[in-house]
Amino acid sequence: MTTQEIRMVQVVSEDGRVDEAQEPKLTKQQVFTLYQTLIRLRTFEARMMNLQRSGRIGFYGGSVGQEATATGSAFALEKQDWVFPQYREPGAALIRGISMETLLYQFMSTAKDIGKGRQMPVHYGDRAVNYVTISSVVASQIPHAAGGGWAMRLRKDNAVALVYFGDGATSTVDFHAGLNLAGVFKAATVFWCNNNQFAISVPREKQTASKTLAEKALAYGFEGLQCDGQDIFAVYAAAKYAVDKARRGEGPTMVESLTYRVGPHSSSDDPTRYRSDVEVDTWRKRDTLERVRHYLRHKGWYDESEDARLHKLAEEEVTRAIEAAEHAGPPSWETMLEDVFAEMTPLQQMQHDDLAAYLKWKEARA
Amino acid sequence: MVSVQFVDKDIVQVINEDGTAQRHLEPKMTHQEHLRLFRTMLLVRATDSKAMNLQRSGRIGFYVPSFGQEACQVGSASVLKPEDWVAPAYREPGAALVRGYPVKLLIAQCYGNKADAQKGRQMPSHYGSAATNFITASSPVGTQIVYATGVAWAMKIRKDPRVALVYFGDGATSEVDFHVGLNFGGVFRVPCIYFCNNNGWAISVPREKQTASPTIAGKAAAYGIEGARCDGNDVLAVVQVTKQAAHHARAGGGPTLIEALTYRMGPHSSSDDPTRYRSAEELEAWKKKDPIERYRRFLEKQGIVTAKDVKDLEADVTKEVEDAVAQVEGQAAVAPESMFEDVYAELPYHLRLQRDALLGERKAGAMVEYEQAEGKFPL
Repeated sequence: MTTQEIRMVQVVSEDGRVDEAQEPKLTKQQVFTLYQTLIRLRTFEARMMNLQRSGRIGFYGGSVGQEATATGSAFALEKQDWVFPQYREPGAALIRGISMETLLYQFMSTAKDIGKGRQMPVHYGDRAVNYVTISSVVASQIPHAAGGGWAMRLRKDNAVALVYFGDGATSTVDFHAGLNLAGVFKAATVFWCNNNQFAISVPREKQTASKTLAEKALAYGFEGLQCDGQDIFAVYAAAKYAVDKARRGEGPTMVESLTYRVGPHSSSDDPTRYRSDVEVDTWRKRDTLERVRHYLRHKGWYDESEDARLHKLAEEEVTRAIEAAEHAGPPSWETMLEDVFAEMTPLQQMQHDDLAAYLKWKEARA
Repeated sequence: MVSVQFVDKDIVQVINEDGTAQRHLEPKMTHQEHLRLFRTMLLVRATDSKAMNLQRSGRIGFYVPSFGQEACQVGSASVLKPEDWVAPAYREPGAALVRGYPVKLLIAQCYGNKADAQKGRQMPSHYGSAATNFITASSPVGTQIVYATGVAWAMKIRKDPRVALVYFGDGATSEVDFHVGLNFGGVFRVPCIYFCNNNGWAISVPREKQTASPTIAGKAAAYGIEGARCDGNDVLAVVQVTKQAAHHARAGGGPTLIEALTYRMGPHSSSDDPTRYRSAEELEAWKKKDPIERYRRFLEKQGIVTAKDVKDLEADVTKEVEDAVAQVEGQAAVAPESMFEDVYAELPYHLRLQRDALLGERKAGAMVEYEQAEGKFPL
């Protein structure tokens, strides 16, 4: 029996103290990119939930409370790296350079949606920035990322796969298969677990009896560590460590980022049914943006008017994106027959002609 | 910073290779109990030898021998009470024998004839019996792990002080059912013993390609349960570790993952040729660690048996196996219509029709009944 320590990374404490030993090397400009992304993200999230509640998009899954864990981790990646998202990482999407317009085109299933309106809202992806399309099926992205990371290692691509999943996903088959394979073949994969304490309504303590989720990595022969998911600098430091290690060919790492979903699981969920207001308030106070402001003050970089300016910019950006999406119109019906066969099969051609004839008839009747 | 206990390289060993013992670790056992264990191990070896010969000469279709793994199965199962449950993989005939399953039925199951309690419905080496709480072996890897977890959970809910013991191999640890079973077992602290026979090979996949975890027992940490490692070729170490696990489970402490380090000295099954994937040197090295030899040396040193006793016991078990074959072989085949039994209390019309057709007794009335029943499928 040996005792193994699961390292916990925290840079900025809740009361604003900065641990300089753990502090990642970031330029002022990089810090402001993170800061601005968090503001953009928070503004975006608030408006999206309102759009759903007012019936302008059909569904939304928000990441309020978890902004830092997705944003900071994706910031540790290079351009050639790949993201295998869960469904609660719009912060990672913004960092990869996916615009708010692109996201909204998807949420509203418009003609300008990369996915041509074929996925339910919040299931976006963008090949141009190596951002794999989101799947609601819990953990299915983990084997994809294990395979992706293995391929990158075999091909000496100098690239890394980063995969996001929640605490609930650790009980799935795909978690077990993915991490075990990655351990054996030293895949260049970072397994990023956003432990937000609830798998929809199942609390963490009913999910598994292990002390931490990070220690599950030991069962697959690689390192697991924890980070404070509300502290974007800790998140970045943990991610950078794991990403660099994978890039050097030293195999996978699992990071358990301790966070909390302040909002509902999705627009279809009512979290008051399964958790207490006191708990939510406790976590609301561990606000990510406030932690960044502490850091900025520590550096002497905080400026209230700049904070206000960034918020205003973000509001304008979201408004522009919504307007663009609401005017984009739906995809043409013919697109449903595209992208599977190079040429339409006779059966598809028949269906195409039937539908065209029907629409023509309907138009004439109107 | 969180500290995690990880079961590393330490291995519980009671009998040293020369037959001397680490007395402080030795489980308390009477001479009678030692003799029973030893005889059962010899009986497994004799059964395996005979059954492999029967297979090679075409008298049975298939067999799964457990040469080299006798101590794991016999030692662990000997700790259990008759009312406990065993969910085997398929390399634990010794566990069945310890629980009182007669060798005659083991052999009969391989023949699948009238003498077979399972009516010839399973491929050879897939025995089981409700009378001994020994769940029928199943070839899909790891399926039994979830059954045992569920059985143990049920016993906990019913406040029934019984435990479940499930066997599986090193390969099964990569399976879905392992992950699901152990995680569930950990959350609900079920009285289950997860017994991994780590024989170094999942058919042809070596242990180091199976998982990067330094040990299999270390995986216990990932599920918040106890873990232990023992020398699987040392029957007393197996007894000792399993006893602790059973005690822990009965006391409400939850499951234990045991990793018994052993080696399959024979092929994976009668359909396998292990020379294709492993070296003769490796096999030779393990033959020197033969669990039966190790135990014999210990028993002789302790004065529990003499060399003559061993010879007598060997002759005795060989005769038991030969007698079983003599009684079973030559019995009639299972009646084909028995395939319609044991699912429905009363046979539904469509099965009656099939049975009658099989027996060449299709009655005029059967078809009428079938037509009348149309649209009311199946009952």
